[in-house]
Order: sequence, then C-alpha cells, then structure tokens
Amino acid sequence: MALPASLRASAIPAELELIASEHLVEIVPLVAMERTAFISGAYGPLRPPQKCKIPIWMATNLKMKKKCHIVPPQWLNIEYLQERLSRETSHPEFSEMPFRFAEIAKVLLDVASDDFQNPDKIRSLLKDIREARQAKSREGLSQLDHSELSLPNLCAMEINEIRPFFVRAMGVLTQFVKDPEARPPE
Amino acid sequence: MDDDYYSIESILAENQKIQCTFKIDIPDMGHLDGGRERDIKALSKIQIPMWMAYILIYSDYADFNIPSPFQARVRNALNAEAKSVKLSNLVGQGGLCLDDVPASEVSNILVKTFRARLPEVIDQAQHFASINAAGGGAGASDGTLTFREGLDGTERELFALAQESARRTRKWYTTSERGRK
Repeated sequence: MALPASLRASAIPAELELIASEHLVEIVPLVAMERTAFISGAYGPLRPPQKCKIPIWMATNLKMKKKCHIVPPQWLNIEYLQERLSRETSHPEFSEMPFRFAEIAKVLLDVASDDFQNPDKIRSLLKDIREARQAKSREGLSQLDHSELSLPNLCAMEINEIRPFFVRAMGVLTQFVKDPEARPPE
Repeated sequence: MDDDYYSIESILAENQKIQCTFKIDIPDMGHLDGGRERDIKALSKIQIPMWMAYILIYSDYADFNIPSPFQARVRNALNAEAKSVKLSNLVGQGGLCLDDVPASEVSNILVKTFRARLPEVIDQAQHFASINAAGGGAGASDGTLTFREGLDGTERELFALAQESARRTRKWYTTSERGRK
C-alpha cells in the first residue's frame, strides 16, 4: 500500500476532527447571508440576530472572522458534564456521551472559548471524564478475547486510540487459541 | 503457523530451534549438529529448526522435547505471576514465542500469559514518557524497566503500536487549532 505505515492502522485525530466538523451547531450570526448551497447541503439564510444551524467547519470559519457567536451544544456545559463525570466515576460501564464529543468540544473550545461561561472549568471536566474513561478501557483490556469485543458508548476518539493495539492483540490471541469454539479460560 | 504463509513473524519463529532426539541413524547428516561427526547416531539430541523438525517428527525419524519456554518450571512461574517472567530470556532477545505445539494446555498457557501481561504492556506504553521523566532510570522505575526488558517480540510490537497511538492522541489534545490559521 502507498500509505505510510503510521496511517494504516487507524485514522489520525485530525481526520476525526474533520469528520466531526460536519456536525451541525447553532450560531448567532453577526452578518447577513443568503441561503447558500454546499456539497454537504444548503445552509442559511443567516439573518442576525436569529439563531441558525450550520456545520461546525463553517461556524469556526465565521467565528474566526468574528462574524458569529457559537451557541454551545446542550451537552457542553458545566452541569451536564459534572453529572456525567460523577456517573462515570460511580458506575462500571461507560456512560453515554455524544459519539464525537471529544472532537466537537475541542474545536469549539479552541475557537470560541469566549462564547462559553467558564471554558477552563469545562476543559478540566472534559479531561477528568476522559481519564475516567481511559481507566475503564484499560480494565477492559484484561478481559480481551480472541473473537469479539463490544464497546458500548465508547466514542470515536477513544476507539481510534485503542484500535491499533486492540486489533493486534486480538490477532495474537486468535493465533494462540487452539479451539476457537471453547470459552476463554478465566 | 500453517495458514499465514506470508507472515514474516511466522517465518522467523520457524527458524527457532527445537531439541529433537533421533530414533534412527542417519548417515552423512552430521553437519546439522555443527559438523564434528559425520553421521547422526540414534538417540543423539540435536537442535533442529522448527521448519525441519516438522517433517522429521511426522515421518517418525525423531522425537521432540517440549521446548524450554513450555516446560513445567516456566509454566508454573507463569501461572503464579505472569508479569514477573522475562519472556525475552526464554525465546531470545527479539525472539517470538509463536509456536504451534499441538497441546491445548500450551494454548491455554499462552492465552493466559498474554492476557495477564497485556494491560501492563499497554500501561507502560501509554505512560512511557512520564515513567522515564519521573524515575530518571533509577529507584521507582526499576520494576517497570525490568518488565520492559522482558517483553518478547510480539509484545514489543504491541508496545510500539500503543505508544505511537497514545502519542498521537495526546498531541492532538494538547495542540490548538488556532495556531494553524
């Protein structure tokens, strides 16, 4: 294959960020614009001060030209994240988060931190959630078996991070296991 | 090992020697053992590469001894605490403990060992930078260092994969979009 080895195993985080940028986000535009057709669909019209839903890539672009305010998604605020964090630390399973929350949160916090009430607090909450979840996926590693792995509520970025070595490790286990039908030894 | 014809690891693993006891005399093949004797005598023990051992064993010219990584002493050690055994000592530095000795017991040992060691491998890979910075090569990091030296080839590969992927993700989390534009 023509791809360098480092890109074959999984997508790179920047690619996931690009994919996540297709998600819609609400903005308060500061400029007027007619309804405009893009490859992914038609967005607009922008009529300040009415709210409008546009893709994140477009919102970041407008934001950086100071032509809109971004309205944070309803899951990206302190109360919601706090609640998720406490659930994350008290329950053994992964709690439910938007599939691409890590990417969306990072992009929005990077370009539009002034549209959030307390961006630093949100950042640290997101970091805590991420670490709590990482600890869980680490525990899951010891239960790895050769045939299947179900990852309920795991998010794109987390799956991407563990993909290369989980896949390889399961491959090794497949080689080791003599009788594929038998239950793995406990 | 039979089905992954193109796997370099399998080819390398097949090059590993296994001790065989010959059942019959074989003339003019003494060079297999280093070349001092002209013939192979019956009941002599010779280290034969895996790929040659198959055919010798199947055609009943020789018997093989369970290789040392699978002998009872090591099996017991692995059962007791898989993390403290240095696999690299057993299979040689950079060697691979891939082997298809036909015994479900061996298979179970391999699976158990691998699963017991995996979390530690991944842990260390993900925190490799901080381990080195904090321990400075002495004191606290001694245990982890010993474990790392004891990884076998497959585990080394996993270590590298996990390390690279963790590095990439961490980099993404810590660098900002804004600098680019």
